[in-house]
Amino acid sequence: MSVGIRIDPILCRGHAICALFFADGVDLDQWGFGKVVLATAESPKDVRRAYRAAAACPNGAFVVHER
Amino acid sequence: MTTLPWLTAPGSAVAPAPEADVLLGLSGFGGAVPADPRIGGVGDPGTLVLAGPPVGAGGGGLDGHLATWGALPCVDGAGVRTLLRASALDGRGGGGFPLIRKVETARLAAGSPVLVVNASESEPASFKDRTLCAERPHLVLDGAALVAAALGVDEAVVHLHRSPGSPAPVLEAAIGERQRRGLADPRWRLSAGPDRYVSGESSAVASYVDGGQARPLFTTLPLAVAGPSGRPTVVSNAETVAQLAVLVRTGPDAWAARGEPSSPGPRLVTLTGAVGHPGRVVEVSGQATIGDILLAGGHVAPPAAVLVGGYAGAWILGEEAWQTPFTRDALAAVDAGLGCGLIGVLPHGACALVETARLVRYLAGESAGQCGTCVAGLPRLAEACEALASGDLRKRGVRRMVALGDIVLGSGACGHPDAVVRLLRSMLQVFEDDVVGHMAGHPCRGADHPPVFAVPEVDVAIGRDDLREWV
Repeated sequence: MSVGIRIDPILCRGHAICALFFADGVDLDQWGFGKVVLATAESPKDVRRAYRAAAACPNGAFVVHER
Repeated sequence: MTTLPWLTAPGSAVAPAPEADVLLGLSGFGGAVPADPRIGGVGDPGTLVLAGPPVGAGGGGLDGHLATWGALPCVDGAGVRTLLRASALDGRGGGGFPLIRKVETARLAAGSPVLVVNASESEPASFKDRTLCAERPHLVLDGAALVAAALGVDEAVVHLHRSPGSPAPVLEAAIGERQRRGLADPRWRLSAGPDRYVSGESSAVASYVDGGQARPLFTTLPLAVAGPSGRPTVVSNAETVAQLAVLVRTGPDAWAARGEPSSPGPRLVTLTGAVGHPGRVVEVSGQATIGDILLAGGHVAPPAAVLVGGYAGAWILGEEAWQTPFTRDALAAVDAGLGCGLIGVLPHGACALVETARLVRYLAGESAGQCGTCVAGLPRLAEACEALASGDLRKRGVRRMVALGDIVLGSGACGHPDAVVRLLRSMLQVFEDDVVGHMAGHPCRGADHPPVFAVPEVDVAIGRDDLREWV
């Protein structure tokens, strides 16, 4: 099952923890604010990583939604 | 529902004759300027939306409005939607989104739609919506009533900024007049929000009207599907709805014929910068070029360059702009857009880099302070642009500025940071020779030129968002 990934740029405070869990899915800028590069996670591995990143985000900015 | 002639027989439309006794013309700019029938201000002959009494007359109240336009034809919701489809009326706030698509999306979405007419006009140099609300308030309210019918709702919110010279009193008086006459209107609600640049963005308007802060929202669904209240929310620009009130009377074909397929109908344009009267609003019909429009602003020859679409718009060199029709397609071909209909004139002798630097600094200070990359990135872009303008940036610095722009682009909840990046890119592309000259440290001929594009005084120096009002 593929999932959609979004980072709410208003909630994101640049902790960059999402990148620890899902390095291939996000791109960090020089301040640590994340930009989604993989708008949908297809493989079970990526889906798992996306959910972990979402769970780890201290601001709830990393959002995974089922499609 | 009264069947209007043009609804059944397209092409038979008859435009109402503008007041024959009003001949304000364009003589205010000297006899050398030939009057172009395609371009005119409030009350000028040949205008459609701005037809009626000349500027300052306040539109003559409801009686003046009815004398110019007659009563609002009785059209039901389906009829209005047919009109919106037939005319392809595009949004005039900056996005250019067809109104029919917002209306149809909202009708399909769950919940009773919210209608907001956005008359806040955040663009500091744009005056078209203010002019429209102050001079033709009943046209805006007629249009809002029509959109309310199209959506099947019985309330319409008109949103303004709290600013000196706000047309709120005129709208309030106009609403009072309509209520006393017992017009079949929706319930009106006037909303007045903080006077900030990004507060006029549609999600910020929707948020404020719903009781939140006037700051842009991060939305995963279009507002027309679900606004901040959860209800579908249609935010439409004041000129857009006024155009609807015009085309319901003239018929969609006659109205659309005043534009061209990519940008149907007449449109309101604000002239700013080095023009006779900055802030002058003209109505442009037909395929007028930017040169034709500037003739109405007192220019007889191409200026150095023009800034098109807004302060966060795009530059076009004067010679090229002079020949470019003010239409969506023609502007897209030169990497520009209609935006909110602003045309800013950069005179010969002024420096586009200096002007851009001031605009970028202003826009950086107008960030809502929400998204990290916008908060951190825009001031750095402003610094880099200022350094470039003052000849303190070399090739590597410009490369860094471009790279930072690439990072900032698409990073925000709203389009504010993107617009700043596009303005910078436009400057780098259009004024490539000037950029090279500045990088080489050549003295800038425009360094001592007085500022061309005025920006409001903002507390940029404070830079602390918690000291600024959002409610």
